[in-house]
Amino acid sequence: MYNLRRFILKHHVIILFILLEVISILLLARSQNFHRNWMVNTTNDAVGKIYEWGSEVGNYFRLNSANKELAEENAMLRKQLSVIYDTTTCTYDISNGDTLYEYIPAQVVNNSTNQANNYIIINKGKLDGIRRDMSVISTDGIVGVVTDVSRHYASVMSLLHSKSVVGVRIKESQELASLKWETNNYRYGMVEDIPTHIVLQPGDTILTSSHSHIFPEDLLVGTIEEFYPTAVDALNKAKIRYATDFATLRHVYVINDLHKPELDSLKARLQ
Amino acid sequence: MNKTVLQIIRFVVLVLFQVLVINHIRLGGYVHPYIYLTFILLLPFSMPKWQLLVLGFVLGLTVDLFTGTPGLHAGATTLMAFSRPSIIKLVSGSLKFDNIQEPNLGQLDGMWFLRYVFCLVFIHHFALFFLESFSFRLIGQVLLRILLSVPVSIFLIMMILYIFKRERKRE
Repeated sequence: MYNLRRFILKHHVIILFILLEVISILLLARSQNFHRNWMVNTTNDAVGKIYEWGSEVGNYFRLNSANKELAEENAMLRKQLSVIYDTTTCTYDISNGDTLYEYIPAQVVNNSTNQANNYIIINKGKLDGIRRDMSVISTDGIVGVVTDVSRHYASVMSLLHSKSVVGVRIKESQELASLKWETNNYRYGMVEDIPTHIVLQPGDTILTSSHSHIFPEDLLVGTIEEFYPTAVDALNKAKIRYATDFATLRHVYVINDLHKPELDSLKARLQ
Repeated sequence: MNKTVLQIIRFVVLVLFQVLVINHIRLGGYVHPYIYLTFILLLPFSMPKWQLLVLGFVLGLTVDLFTGTPGLHAGATTLMAFSRPSIIKLVSGSLKFDNIQEPNLGQLDGMWFLRYVFCLVFIHHFALFFLESFSFRLIGQVLLRILLSVPVSIFLIMMILYIFKRERKRE
């Protein structure tokens, strides 16, 4: 016992060092999971508050472009509405029955694009109806998936994340593929598992597929920048330019898929 | 001003500056400067090693909370705090600081300071970027990040130290 105490006293620095490093690595290893740990969850509100305060300053300088963006989106939505607007009866004809998706507008309070795993913090949380696994989009394209929710804030795993995989569809040929982020650049992603017989041209459009069960179908993901044909019998790859500009992301929508609980319970029963 | 109060203010200001300003600077995807390390660099020479370690860990963990990467900065900053006493010995040689309490650009030689900052920033960035990738899969990218980020961090930290030096003279 005496020897042990003497040993600890003599080597207390190295023991403390190893202890702290082990704690760090354990925390880091746990945070590699899709859902992050209690530490981020419990401090999310405080961190979100500080980020919001920081971004409010920056927001004043961007009011002009934000206004323009929202006005453009308004115009587009009005145009879409006119399709179902019946001018004779002055009513909206929603013939295909019930609503599938609910859109919750939110603002980005913090966003990174230069890490290996990027997260976005938005200013809506549990109290606003945000839940895990909801998808997040911007006016331009898809953004990411909600991974953690606190009372007033939520963190979103952006497409710019090494673990991010999204099921996508090539618009022209309807073929399925998957989207990953392996470049170091926030403008570009990689479309993988493209069937061998498909040849893509720069400018081809990539949309979300319904197979991922994360994003609604047919949302814009981006356009092909460069096609990389691989060896015979291997699946092809292509570089894609994201429709969303992650560097200037301000206003986003969180999508609540109203049919998701039903779909999930059906899938659970199949397993 | 009380030394402890000064250090707490330094801690808060450096962390906020890091997460609200520096982290939003985008320089081509490979350059990620980290200036919050200045806090560890400026701690007194006489501080017990265990205190250095604890402060390094707490500082790293605070930055982690903001970047959503628990353990990443904590691990790298703890390693840096652990190596600080040996690095000071290494870069000083026979140099003795009898009446100097803490590293201060005003009282110490500029070249000494540059060597000191370089060694510790390099250790921190090396650990950080390797922990971040968590595997050696993208070793080329990791090395490029270290190579490009270290000079930028050192430049920013030296600028901050210069400002702190001016402040010290007025007191």
